[in-house]
Amino acid sequence: MLRSKSKGSKKRELRIYFATDLHGSEVCFRKFLAAAKVYEADVIILGGDFAGKAIVPVLTENGSLRAHVGGEDVTVPESEWDRLAAGLAKTGLYPVRMEAAEVALLEQDSAELDRLFRSEIAAQMQRWCDLAAERLDPAVRCIITPGNDDPVDADPVIAAHPRVECPELELCDLGPVTMASLGVVPTTPWNTERECSEDELAKQIDEMLEQVPSGQPCILNLHCPPYASGLDDAPELDGTLKPVIRGGRPSIIPVGSHAVREAIKRYQPVVGLHGHIHESRGAQKIGRTLCVNPGSDYSSGVLRGAVIDLAQDGSCLDFLLTTG
Amino acid sequence: MTSSEASVPAGAAQTGGTASTRLFIRQTSGLVRELGIPAATGISLASVAVVNTFINFNAGLTDFAKSDMYLPLVAAAIIWLVAMFAYRYLLRAVPRAGGEYVYLSRIVSPVAGSMAGLGIAVVFTYILSTNAHFAAQFTPFMLSGLGAAFHSTAVANAGNHLTSNIAIAWLSVIVMLIVAALSLFSVKIVARIIFWLIVLQVLAFVVLIGILAVNSHSDFTSALATYSNHPNAYGAIIASAKANGVVFGTSIASAVAIIPFMVLNYNGVLYSYYVGGELRRPGRTYLYASAISIGVLVVLWVGVWALLRARAGLTFMQAQANLGVVNPTAYAKITSLNSVAGGLGYGMVLSTDPITKILFATAVPLAEIAVNLAFLMVTTRVLFAQAFDRLLPVNVAKIGDRNHAPNVAIGIVLVIGIGFCFLTSLVNLGNIVALQSLFFALILLAGGVAATALPMRRADLIETPGMPDDARRRWLRNVALVGGATTVLALFTVYELIAHQSVYGKFSWESILTLVIVLGAGPVIYLIARTVRRQRDSLDLNMAMHELPPE
Repeated sequence: MLRSKSKGSKKRELRIYFATDLHGSEVCFRKFLAAAKVYEADVIILGGDFAGKAIVPVLTENGSLRAHVGGEDVTVPESEWDRLAAGLAKTGLYPVRMEAAEVALLEQDSAELDRLFRSEIAAQMQRWCDLAAERLDPAVRCIITPGNDDPVDADPVIAAHPRVECPELELCDLGPVTMASLGVVPTTPWNTERECSEDELAKQIDEMLEQVPSGQPCILNLHCPPYASGLDDAPELDGTLKPVIRGGRPSIIPVGSHAVREAIKRYQPVVGLHGHIHESRGAQKIGRTLCVNPGSDYSSGVLRGAVIDLAQDGSCLDFLLTTG
Repeated sequence: MTSSEASVPAGAAQTGGTASTRLFIRQTSGLVRELGIPAATGISLASVAVVNTFINFNAGLTDFAKSDMYLPLVAAAIIWLVAMFAYRYLLRAVPRAGGEYVYLSRIVSPVAGSMAGLGIAVVFTYILSTNAHFAAQFTPFMLSGLGAAFHSTAVANAGNHLTSNIAIAWLSVIVMLIVAALSLFSVKIVARIIFWLIVLQVLAFVVLIGILAVNSHSDFTSALATYSNHPNAYGAIIASAKANGVVFGTSIASAVAIIPFMVLNYNGVLYSYYVGGELRRPGRTYLYASAISIGVLVVLWVGVWALLRARAGLTFMQAQANLGVVNPTAYAKITSLNSVAGGLGYGMVLSTDPITKILFATAVPLAEIAVNLAFLMVTTRVLFAQAFDRLLPVNVAKIGDRNHAPNVAIGIVLVIGIGFCFLTSLVNLGNIVALQSLFFALILLAGGVAATALPMRRADLIETPGMPDDARRRWLRNVALVGGATTVLALFTVYELIAHQSVYGKFSWESILTLVIVLGAGPVIYLIARTVRRQRDSLDLNMAMHELPPE
């Protein structure tokens, strides 16, 4: 049993559990829901990039199912579909049964493939929201906000669900603090769903934060971490998107947002919740702001997260990065 | 351009299947063109300090009578080849950048990983200081070489004043300070510095091979006579060594006992697993890159040892290395050639132009600076991980606002490293090469244990969905067998180091205490940090490593 935390005379008013970048991993989302009980969190926040990245076509042939998994061709009886599908979904892959002709069509028609991806992602999000409704204690708030890799079609699915909140580009009252959320990131080489220039990003952040009542402590749930904060170190790529090797190692450079860093320096929120850069797990202080990127290890089925305790006056009492 | 994440699930970017069953991948951040076999091989080879082999040759020659390096070099290569397969499975299970503590964390338990992480951080800090110590030991040789290159007797003689323990300790500190100062630059600049230092040491190694190849045995003896201003320096060194009880010849027992030193030689050769997430067809690419790298190193090192035997002679090498230890005064009367310089020293003797003299003279110090720069980066990252787990104060991971470098972590590593420099030089901290070999063998052991435990504890990480049960059982058994074989070979290496009397006898109470502190640092710091946090009513550290139930 966890004790109520305090710092000096301050008592814990709110405990947040924050995770990010699950990329379709079923096992990680189930762990995310379990985290509410295990960590005794009042609010659980999934901070973007929930959508998976790959579809595994599963071909039906003479009563068998055939798929290409982990570099190998796997053939199983049709009766094994559930087990095969569960195994694939666990790591964030979308298994889809189809005929050879459908595979050929998808190979030729990128628009059709895009539609299939959007439909799979939306369906998964619907399942996840239903699972949240089924498993979460009614007292626990569940917030899911998108990241740059999430299709905009998924937002209405979350927003329409009665059990889950999606305050994207909005302020959200969490009691002692107000939370501002934004999944957009500065332009990447991949031209993903939610990108914009640094100037535009700064404008969007400013517009949100200017609505925060004066003196009201706030936290930022911005998918992109601040530039050169140690939370944004990623491999440098050359013009062909190949990692650059220097001194016998991939060159690691900061790839975060200048606009996010400036906003944090200017508004000094209590906490900055970030993700986006899976390998850059950590916590840094920028001025008085505690910035956290719990990182992501979804492909190993490991849920990385952060527990953050806030006091009644909105100040941060303590935090812990978790591996579960 | 930059990668905002490199996060394709294992196998997702592979295209090995028939066209009709391949994966469909959507355009998301982190999808990168992956590294192939040439790039992975480059990473592996660049991670090995090729000139360090002369330090290990010297350690083998001085610690064991009748030493020869053929068998140890080949046996150590076989140990790494077996380990290569174990790491292949670990790479498949955890296809992200990481290390042994990450593997232990995922496969055994987060607590075990964290403990190992702290131990590795302390070990790496110790290794930073031993590398600095090696550089310091080679400073007199460097100065005499530079003096010869620039025809300056003042520079050449300066080295003679830098051989005492206190001088070596201070030189080690200077090397540590140079490394720390260079680390304060941006990561990009540090990487460039490492690259050029690697180029210089590889160049020195290749030039040495060339010089040894084009000269004969008689060229060497006459060149040594000229270098030493002694008409029969070659024969005199052998005769004096014999008179001082040095035993010549070869023995299987000695060769087996030297294997741990040669295991240390290959350290780094499997490091392409650190970029496992970015390799094209990770398992296959990693195997090819590692096997090619091990093969190249075996050929290079066995080749250079064969050349050294042919040109200098095994008896002379045994005499020269040992006489410098058992009777340095007698040795100094015959020649000014630094007794620890080994092959590079022989190259210096044979070289006739200032450029090659400079290359040989500076090869080891520059190589150690390159290795230490890379180690410092790794050590600070391990410290970061502990700070993020709240085992160390979070300020340890603070990034400087101006230089974007981890100034606090570098400072901590520097202070502890300097402490180890003095202990290593002044308190005779055991046989430092043996201790360093032991640490790396223990890290290899951690990898073997993780691979052995993988099919039992986290089979889900390596299972292929849909694989039939009997094939699955065979596959998991193979993983356990390879992991077990690596564990046994790592244990053999550890056993040879700590149980072999001629080496074990050099372990002092200080060195054993150091080992205990290093191995016990993890649990002790964890218990202290947890207790302190509980007293302050902070979040329980246990939560940070609590396995969450998915159902």
